[in-house]
Amino acid sequence: MVSTLSLDAINTLAAMILLADFMLVASSRMRSLTRIFALQSLAMGGLAAVVAFETGAEHIYVIAVLSVALKAVVIPRFIDYITEKIQVNREVEPLIKIPGSLLICAAITILAYFVTEPIMELGTAITSNCLAISFATVLIGMFLMVSRKKAITQVIGLLVVENGVFLAAISTTYSMPMVVELGVFFDIFVGVVIMGIFAFRINRTFETVDSTVLRRLKD
Amino acid sequence: MIEAALILPAVLAAICILLGRRTRLVEAVSVAGAGSMLVLGLYLVFRVFDQGSLDEGIWYMDQFSGLMMLIIVLIGSLAMVYSVPYMRHELDSGEVNPKKVAYYYGFLFLFIFTMVLVVVSDNLGMVWIAVEATTLVSAFLVGFHNKATSLEATWKYLIICSIGISLALLGTIFIYASSLPILGEGSDLHWTSLMAVADQLDPAFLKIGFVLVLIGYGTKAGLAPMHTWLPDAHSQSPSPVSALLSGVLLNCAMYAVLRYHVLLTHSQLGGGFSSGLLLLFGLLSLGIAAAFIITQKDYKRLLAYSSIEHMGIISIGFGFGGYWGIFGGLLHMLNHSLTKALLFFGAGNVLQKYGTKNISEVRGLVRTMPFTAALLMLGALAITGSPPFSIFTSEIMVLTAGIDQGNILPAISYSLMLVVVFAAFMGHIVKMVFGEPPQGMEKGEISKMGLVPMIALAVMITIMGLFIPDVLADALRDIIALFGGLA
Amino acid sequence: MLTSLVQTLLILALSPLFTGLIRKLKAYFQGRQGASVLQPYWDLAKLFHKDSVVSQDASWIMTATPYVCMTAVIAASFMVPFITTSSLGFVGDLIVVVYLFGMMRFFMALAGLDAGSSFGGMGSSREMTVSAIVEPTILLSVFTMALISGTTDLSGMSQSLATTGFDLVRPALFLALAAFFISTLAENARVPVDNPSTHLELTMIHEAMVLEHSGKHLALMEWSSMTKLLLYLVIMANIFLPWGIDTDLTVLGLATGTVAIILKLLVFSLAIALVESSMAKMRLFRLPNLLTVSFSLSLLAVISYYIL
Repeated sequence: MVSTLSLDAINTLAAMILLADFMLVASSRMRSLTRIFALQSLAMGGLAAVVAFETGAEHIYVIAVLSVALKAVVIPRFIDYITEKIQVNREVEPLIKIPGSLLICAAITILAYFVTEPIMELGTAITSNCLAISFATVLIGMFLMVSRKKAITQVIGLLVVENGVFLAAISTTYSMPMVVELGVFFDIFVGVVIMGIFAFRINRTFETVDSTVLRRLKD
Repeated sequence: MIEAALILPAVLAAICILLGRRTRLVEAVSVAGAGSMLVLGLYLVFRVFDQGSLDEGIWYMDQFSGLMMLIIVLIGSLAMVYSVPYMRHELDSGEVNPKKVAYYYGFLFLFIFTMVLVVVSDNLGMVWIAVEATTLVSAFLVGFHNKATSLEATWKYLIICSIGISLALLGTIFIYASSLPILGEGSDLHWTSLMAVADQLDPAFLKIGFVLVLIGYGTKAGLAPMHTWLPDAHSQSPSPVSALLSGVLLNCAMYAVLRYHVLLTHSQLGGGFSSGLLLLFGLLSLGIAAAFIITQKDYKRLLAYSSIEHMGIISIGFGFGGYWGIFGGLLHMLNHSLTKALLFFGAGNVLQKYGTKNISEVRGLVRTMPFTAALLMLGALAITGSPPFSIFTSEIMVLTAGIDQGNILPAISYSLMLVVVFAAFMGHIVKMVFGEPPQGMEKGEISKMGLVPMIALAVMITIMGLFIPDVLADALRDIIALFGGLA
Repeated sequence: MLTSLVQTLLILALSPLFTGLIRKLKAYFQGRQGASVLQPYWDLAKLFHKDSVVSQDASWIMTATPYVCMTAVIAASFMVPFITTSSLGFVGDLIVVVYLFGMMRFFMALAGLDAGSSFGGMGSSREMTVSAIVEPTILLSVFTMALISGTTDLSGMSQSLATTGFDLVRPALFLALAAFFISTLAENARVPVDNPSTHLELTMIHEAMVLEHSGKHLALMEWSSMTKLLLYLVIMANIFLPWGIDTDLTVLGLATGTVAIILKLLVFSLAIALVESSMAKMRLFRLPNLLTVSFSLSLLAVISYYIL
């Protein structure tokens, strides 16, 4: 039997993850973007740890620790480093203004709830109610990618999407088999490094990381 | 045995990068490596075709993987050989330095390694990891030239494909979720173990899982409307890489989708749900590609859109289903790879000779580069589905399937669009091949060595158009049985 | 009935004290000595001894507004549980309370326009802009609490949460609380939305509207604003975190209730003082950012109530 304390902890952490989504959309500074992302990943790791505790599956602890180490420490630092290195200004430069973005994201969250409702009923996991939040996180991550100008914010959006997928994995299946999970972490890490390298190159070539300059190729 | 096919390209990649500036040596290693890869790959393929599936724990090869392996090693090694003269020309013109060339070969091998990983992994999670790895590795190849346009293409490629792929991971999770109540903790996400219990998997999870997987891997396979990265990436990368991207990578992504399609076919849902979606996306891709082919001004983008078109045709083939639909779809995967590689190699020669990608600036190929012109013309005829080349066969099979299955309206629109593509595509190529070459353009091929892989491909597509080797036909029938298309 | 009356009187009597307390705490954080916490009482007393000057162009609205405002806050005080929840003397739920404040705001904005001075109109227009987002936020966040407790009656909400212990605690509660806190700052003209201690023409919102009031009228306006602030804090304390509130009218209950509410109000005053001394006032054009953040917080609260 699952203790109410764990359930409360899971719900609170899930709410924090959703809150972090909105804070990401609302923040206008690059620094706060990476910090909020780190916090979100921390909450994600915490949630995984609670699930590990409840299910007694030891490999989930490993995943929780890895997730925190990678997404809450290493990757945010790396992004900060890149941001500093290419000396972009600190503004996020949204294409859609922040109030509008927030309202759109609220609509997205409601949509995610209705989309996932039938699946949540199928779920047997103690965390299955987090599925709506994971969908919302995926969609809000995508929204961040399309509505923010800087190349680096797109990377952060992608990472938010990954966080959403991770939450989905935890909330429907208590994460994936160990080998898969490790591979996914590896891919994410390498992906971020490669995107960092290319953001760096784009900055050198175009003297900006504004992705709206990437409009030359079209039919 | 399968490990060897994985280790070989990985080791070759390391060697190439370690050799660094010794370009001649790197080239020698690459060509020799390509040869050994081809031999090893073909050995595996024939072994699988002959004796059925190979199950080595986390590695698994059946005839379907065998077909993909055949495509990978064939196009992979030919692209390797073609790269030698191509890169030499780039070196001579001062576009790149020797160190970058070593990295180029290294990443090319790594790219092949990741694609082999896609087709030999039994674990569907591993397939995901491998597909994402193909994106990451090939990003360096797409952005090889470091120009503004190629960086833009790379960025789009990375971002759009990574996003798509994350959806595929979400889909994979749902498929995994469907298996958990049956297999319990022992569920390992292996395709073979999922297939064993396919009829007990929860249909609701399978449905949403497949939709996400189709959108996710479909992005990578260039299905419209998620194709937007494709024309940029394919036109900006070096020509041998374009050939690999178009001919092999798209097929690998399609392969991943089709694995799930097989799973759904054997589940309670039956094949109707997934093949309906495949048909829809296929027709959409075909239509969008046709529209862009008509108005295209850049011949590499022209070829890229043609790839979208052909991925659409493959998708339609599996969408129609039935014996002929699946037969046609499978055969089309192989045929399209061979033909598209030929065309991209030709386009590489043209680009290096004329220094432009604009169709309007390329005239009189037949006078300046007669061999390339002939091969390009042959390739163009083949890709647009003219007899007697192999694509004609597979396209007709798909059409037959459509009529057989009673999908008359889709079948009609399919053939209409093929006609449109034929006219538009040939129009562009004919303009390039004939006419008055620009002033001061010297006669002569870029290199003789570059023609060798092209001739090899031309021979293959012609032969394949005339008859299908028995061993291949038998293997294809086995795959059709896997898809449940024999009944 | 009696308890309601006592609570209302207490709220009215204590409201200047908390305003003074916040000012004192702010002064402390800014390293100043600051005026005595009782200063608002002296200010009010002074104003009550003065006559009101009303512009000759102003209509009856100008004169009526101070009384309307005062009536609204008194009526609201009757419905908000303060020390005890057993004050069911008046029929009125959270919707009535929210709209009593809405009426107060409406009349203040009208009075701002009525005097015909340019600042008044400016203040009114800004106030209405702000409240366009703040009002739904407040409604949504209090509705979340209504969903959690299953009633829209303020005393009932407080009671059900206080008596069931922590079982009803959900993430939604904290999200709603955060949204309500930001709205409290916005509604009561605090930093970062408005600055209560300046009369700088270009930035002021609330002060601009009451600029034309003087003497007794001004005293009523000020007092009602102070009471409104206290009421918001009390709602925050007793609806969102009602633990400790008296529910049965025993001596022990009343004693703990009194201590609990005083402690909670002290904490909130401290929080407001901290926010006010650590943040700068926002530019007017950036205000929608903050306000939509609080709006989406309250929306999130409702959504997460259903999801989790």
